[in-house]
Amino acid sequence: MAKKSTPPPTSARQAKIQAAQKSQGSGANKIVVAAVVAVVAIIAVVGGVIWMEQSKTDEVTGGGKALPTGVSALGAGYPAFQDVTAAANAPTVEVYVDFQCPACASFEAAMGSTFTSQAQEGKIELVYHVKNFLDDNLRNDGSTRAGNAAFCASDAGKFQEFHDIVFQNQPKTEGDGFPEAQLKSFAEQAGVTGAALTTWQQCVDNNTYVDYVNSVEEASFAAGVKGTPTVKINGADVDLNTIASPEQLTQVIQNATK
Amino acid sequence: MSTEMDGATPVVADPHRASAGRERLLDVVGTLARLFLGVVLIYAGAAKVGKPLTSERAVQAFEIVPSDVAAWIGLALPFVEIALGVLLVIGLFTRPVAIASTLLMVAFVLGIAQAWARGLTIDCGCFGGGGQIGADETRYPQEIARDVVFAVAGAWLWWRPRTLASLDRYLFGH
Repeated sequence: MAKKSTPPPTSARQAKIQAAQKSQGSGANKIVVAAVVAVVAIIAVVGGVIWMEQSKTDEVTGGGKALPTGVSALGAGYPAFQDVTAAANAPTVEVYVDFQCPACASFEAAMGSTFTSQAQEGKIELVYHVKNFLDDNLRNDGSTRAGNAAFCASDAGKFQEFHDIVFQNQPKTEGDGFPEAQLKSFAEQAGVTGAALTTWQQCVDNNTYVDYVNSVEEASFAAGVKGTPTVKINGADVDLNTIASPEQLTQVIQNATK
Repeated sequence: MSTEMDGATPVVADPHRASAGRERLLDVVGTLARLFLGVVLIYAGAAKVGKPLTSERAVQAFEIVPSDVAAWIGLALPFVEIALGVLLVIGLFTRPVAIASTLLMVAFVLGIAQAWARGLTIDCGCFGGGGQIGADETRYPQEIARDVVFAVAGAWLWWRPRTLASLDRYLFGH
């Protein structure tokens, strides 16, 4: 019985399928539909890329191109202690940090005072590259806002102080960022007061140096600095394991002094 | 229908009916795979839209192709993912789209695997984010496992693109 009834349903099903196809006239032309879909998809992808490229330009240079005092161009580092004239043979020490990077905070806690005292004595040219890639990883805007606020403090001559205070007060949980009010208290602790504090607040509200911070991230990433902290002496990467103590750091700096 | 199925007569069950039940089950599995992969692709693409620098960096961090090329891939990828995802959700050209999606997932798996093998420490940026991370923060096995699951869903549709409630069925009758 099963054998006997098998063939008819199969053909009946085929007939049904054919009927269904016929009921929609000649059926949609697959090639036409495919062409339409392909064109729409290509327009969507190309349009999307153009739009993204455009918004990227805005992201880097959209709000003007304000540079902190002493910075030569978008993407360039910020020279610390600009009032100190370093010795002619002093090596250039470049420090790449992200304000939300816990490893940077511990590195700064251990080595920061050595860097600053060497810079103050004119034994090194200390240059900071303030990156913000952790905003991507942590999905917030803490690094960018803290970076902008630090350069706003540089207008009052308090970059180094602000920088140090940020690292001393990193949130306990990475990714919590820096609330607006906290950044303001950092500025006050850094010694930005009175009229300077009003100017600082305006600078923060206007995102004056956000483009600059983005440009530093772009430039340093392109130059191969993809993680923080990174230290370069006279342009050469320093293995941080070789400067595990202030003494070793001082020695490495001395070795680089010609 | 269920009474016929349940009313197991001594006669062996009608083979046509049994295979129809199996076909129906495969249709359902295919439909779930299609919707699952489609939604995942749309979600993955949407997470990257409007974040050009992040998207560029995420691809550049794999260090497979030159930086400039990687940047363009980073900008285009979100929209490619969304396009594939939308076509899967509406069920149009399921097989070609499934093939493309499967190959894309295989490419992601290979990309992550080579990053792992070369000792890079990156986030795959599969659902936004991405780029350089700490060595103890990498999640290569999980990322690969996740993409393999997506690839399996794609491969199913590659093998058997027939699903329920699809535009393919409505427009072309299959």
